[in-house]
Amino acid sequence: MLSFLPLLLFNALIACTAARSDYHERLLLRPLPQSALLASFTFRSNESSGAFEEQNFRYFPRSLGQILQHAHTKELHLRFSLGRWDASNWGQMPWNGAREGGTGVELWAWVEAGTEEEAFSRWLALTNALSGLFCASLNFIDATKTIRPVMSFQPEGDHHNMSRLHLLHGTLPHEVVCTENLTPFLKLLPCKGKAGISSLLSGHKLFDASWQTMSIDVRPVCQKEGDCAVEIEQGVDMVLDLERAKRPLDNPIPRPLPIEEISCDGSKPYNAPDTCYPLTRTADSSWSLNEVFGTSLHGACPLTDDRDGNSHTVCINVQPEREIQVKTAGEYDESRSASETLRCYKLPVGEAFDLVLPEQQMTTGLVLPTPPLYAARSINGHGQERGSVQAVIRNPSTTDAVEFIYLESLPWFMKPYLHTLRAVIDKSEGNPVKETYYRPAVDRRRGSHLELRVVIPADSSLSLTYDFDKAILRYTEYPPDANRGFDAAPAVIRLLSPRPPDRKGVYTRTTSLLLQLPTPDFSMPYNVIILTSTVMALAFGNIFNLLVRRFVGADEVPSRRGLRTILQGKLERFKSLVKGP
Amino acid sequence: MGSSKVNPPPETKESVWLRRSVILSFWLVAVLLGLPVWWKTTAIYRAELPLQTMTDWADGKVCKPVFPLRIAVEVPIPPSEAQHLIRTTQHALDDLNEFSAHHLRLMLADSPWVANTSQQIVSDGTTVDARHEEDIALLIRLIQVGTGNTPRSMLRAYSPTLDIYYAANQLPSPSSTGSPLATFMAQELHKLFDEEQALLAYLLSTKSKIPTAKVKSFSPETAAELERQSTIAFKYAPTYHLTFSLFTPTFIPSDWRIESALKQYISPFLDSFASISNFTIDTQVQLYSAYSPSIQKPVYDEDQKAWLLRKEDLSGFINAAEWPLSPSIGAGPTVNFVLYVPDQAETPLLVQGSGANSWLIPQWGGVVILNPSGTDKFGPVLTKQDLAPAMHTFSDQLMSLLGLPRAPASLPLRLSTLVRSRAASLLFSASSTLGALARLYNALPSIPIPDKVAKSVDLTTAHLQHACDNLRGGRFRTALEHARIAEAEAEKAFFERSMVGQVYFPDEHKVAVYLPLLGPIAVPLVMAALKELQSIIRALKARKNA
Repeated sequence: MLSFLPLLLFNALIACTAARSDYHERLLLRPLPQSALLASFTFRSNESSGAFEEQNFRYFPRSLGQILQHAHTKELHLRFSLGRWDASNWGQMPWNGAREGGTGVELWAWVEAGTEEEAFSRWLALTNALSGLFCASLNFIDATKTIRPVMSFQPEGDHHNMSRLHLLHGTLPHEVVCTENLTPFLKLLPCKGKAGISSLLSGHKLFDASWQTMSIDVRPVCQKEGDCAVEIEQGVDMVLDLERAKRPLDNPIPRPLPIEEISCDGSKPYNAPDTCYPLTRTADSSWSLNEVFGTSLHGACPLTDDRDGNSHTVCINVQPEREIQVKTAGEYDESRSASETLRCYKLPVGEAFDLVLPEQQMTTGLVLPTPPLYAARSINGHGQERGSVQAVIRNPSTTDAVEFIYLESLPWFMKPYLHTLRAVIDKSEGNPVKETYYRPAVDRRRGSHLELRVVIPADSSLSLTYDFDKAILRYTEYPPDANRGFDAAPAVIRLLSPRPPDRKGVYTRTTSLLLQLPTPDFSMPYNVIILTSTVMALAFGNIFNLLVRRFVGADEVPSRRGLRTILQGKLERFKSLVKGP
Repeated sequence: MGSSKVNPPPETKESVWLRRSVILSFWLVAVLLGLPVWWKTTAIYRAELPLQTMTDWADGKVCKPVFPLRIAVEVPIPPSEAQHLIRTTQHALDDLNEFSAHHLRLMLADSPWVANTSQQIVSDGTTVDARHEEDIALLIRLIQVGTGNTPRSMLRAYSPTLDIYYAANQLPSPSSTGSPLATFMAQELHKLFDEEQALLAYLLSTKSKIPTAKVKSFSPETAAELERQSTIAFKYAPTYHLTFSLFTPTFIPSDWRIESALKQYISPFLDSFASISNFTIDTQVQLYSAYSPSIQKPVYDEDQKAWLLRKEDLSGFINAAEWPLSPSIGAGPTVNFVLYVPDQAETPLLVQGSGANSWLIPQWGGVVILNPSGTDKFGPVLTKQDLAPAMHTFSDQLMSLLGLPRAPASLPLRLSTLVRSRAASLLFSASSTLGALARLYNALPSIPIPDKVAKSVDLTTAHLQHACDNLRGGRFRTALEHARIAEAEAEKAFFERSMVGQVYFPDEHKVAVYLPLLGPIAVPLVMAALKELQSIIRALKARKNA
């Protein structure tokens, strides 16, 4: 077994930046257990802050740049995520979770403004403009979904006037990320998905992945005083199921293999030739880039900087003995690093490029790094009035205690009781919560915002519970699919110690929660109108008749040629006609 | 069957009267109280609009725009003679003018001659200080020369000044009513403002409903040309956003020296425009951006040694689906300038027929295809020299897109022409929007009209009145400003969002919702009334027979 050094090295490699207009891109492929494949795409470009202010855009996308200037946003982080990262099988997240977002859409930004009101109005301008740019419902991030985190986020860029910067954070856990978000994302890239690693990104495979995150990070970077640049980093991280991804697009339904292609367990007795006990495959399955991504890689994006080995844009992290065939008509270059577990390729310009990994019986495997924390969160309780939330956070390290910030941003109709907050550590006594920041919700104005600083000792787990009430909404406040439930945003966990390796920090997020609220019958208003009308009409009819009718004795009722007498007369005449004279 | 029938005792007068008054009072409550309350609570709020005034504005009954241009004349001769010269010229000028709304008025400027003799002149309103008055359209400087061809004129390119050189004997004698100089001046002025008159007359006759009896007639070619110019130009705005984009289907060139090129070729023009509108500039480089795939591929032509784009494909050239040409954020229209560097294999790329490499897209921007000269190739960076031809084309296109007239040669004169024509067209468009709103108000009685709309309408008419007054007074800049506000307010009123909401909630719906209440109540009321009416009629008949 080999140790897992490469990923950390790789992070350090891409972190070096420069304050001039340039462009880098990198794709890291890493097979994960259970025939999963992690693909991390990173695209980074710079624009000198002078050119940015004058709106001369070269690699930085003009549409995004104008939005940032209009909204006075100095640093921006936007995430579109789908699926769940399976930490117990896949280990630590790529980029230590710093490029991950909660399910749906998550946005946080440092906005420059004099007052809080001004900052909020600029934040609204930002969300509205981004909503148009990315075809997402970001404009629904209003005051009820916006919080101002105190401890959970730190700026990644170099800012001069921190006192004028306001951090705002908003989430849309209900948003379904899809192809219409990917297309504008690709348009922001200088090579636009026409060349370079971005040509592998297609909506079919990306949104079919077990887990995926699209991220956009904009920050100012200063080498020294006055030599500043605005850096945009776009990333796509996805975990593909290899078997699923290899299915051809025109025939996506899984069908059983013909029996001749299945290797059967010969040690078992069979009663007929068409039965089979399939052997579990131990070998790493075969795959190629073309198969897995459904498109071919159209050579390198020629804008990438050639220095510092940055031109080796496709990297694959496998065992040194794993066989890899390179299929291309052009010239390419391979370099190996990190005790040969990381192989990087310099792509040819204008020629298709493919990596083919044949099926191979492996004797060794790569060690996956364990994440610093495992987190899970769920809603407990029953009924439509109240419930409770339980978050279980486990520290797998046997030596180090872990200190972190736990951030909850709850919708206003989920009303937590802070006095019911219990933080219990399974193996030790004492309160693990060191610091609490709580801003209660105001109905229809803002949601609750809870931040906790917690320490978990080595090899123990924390269980955090609190109770909440479910509010009853107004008739018009329910969404069209009210019976589906309401999404509560994922909790964000930021690690404080052990110290993160870089400014991006180490983050983990829980999954989002589905909250069932009492849902009314939506034909209710019409029913109410009808019922009230009936009651009023009944009362009116009675009173009116009492006032207007003349009351007489039963034998005094005037004989009237009613319907019955008319019918009787007709019947008599008919009978006499039938009988004849 | 043998039950004996007993008639009820006859009703007393009181009980009949009581029953009838009960029914009547129920009916009165329903009709006098119920119906008005229902009507009131379900009515749509419609603010009062001054419909008559609005229609009057649209029909041009309120304001007939006139354009009195003041022209200062600087003469190095004594004031009495100067006044005589001006009078004669004014006569000649008035005889030439066919368009009464556009009127040139000559005025005597404080001439340096007066200053030199330190003679006190009492200002009687006919003399002006030409150097300080910004509402002076043109300054004529008469310069006496001894040699050369006289009279001759010279228009300065960067100031609104016309120099006229004359010989001493060409001045009118005090007794005569005409002189070669006066006729020459009148003709020069007429020539100078001929195009502007045509433009304004065209605006007046096509864009407004003002009954213009005496409108300058113009040839169909002039009309077509004016029509073309007015469709190309953007609406007037106080701020325009200019976007310069480099598109190329490959990755070369990937950079351009746009800052210095803009500074040299575009900024001077924008500076001279600054008094009317502001501009923001942004630039972008977009690689791997081919033209729209829906048009036919260009064909190689052996004679011209060039790839030719079909003329009818030019409108589809812009790849709207992939090129990020979203409008800039902020008020004001975005003017797009697209510089397209074709693929090496498709160079040079030209337009079929004309062999041109650039074209205008009306009210959107301009496109230039940049081919390398000769057999050269572009490097990864486009230099300022490479960009020069494209930038010249862009600045020409920008002039057309802003609606700047082609003549006369003096830029300040063209700008002031632009101010007048823009003020007039804004005035007309705001007026016609008011008219449309008035028609809408009458045509759709079910839409709500909020107070905001009434307020905007009031603002519009007030500013229109100001604009009209300022036009009459010759203060064209102020008129333009008022006309712009009027136009913006009129648009705001017309496109008020809350006016659309209830068009789809008709009266039938309201009746349907309240029918469960109205039905059961109405039936006994109606039945009782009918029955009572029947008995009254029967009683009347009985009395007649008796």
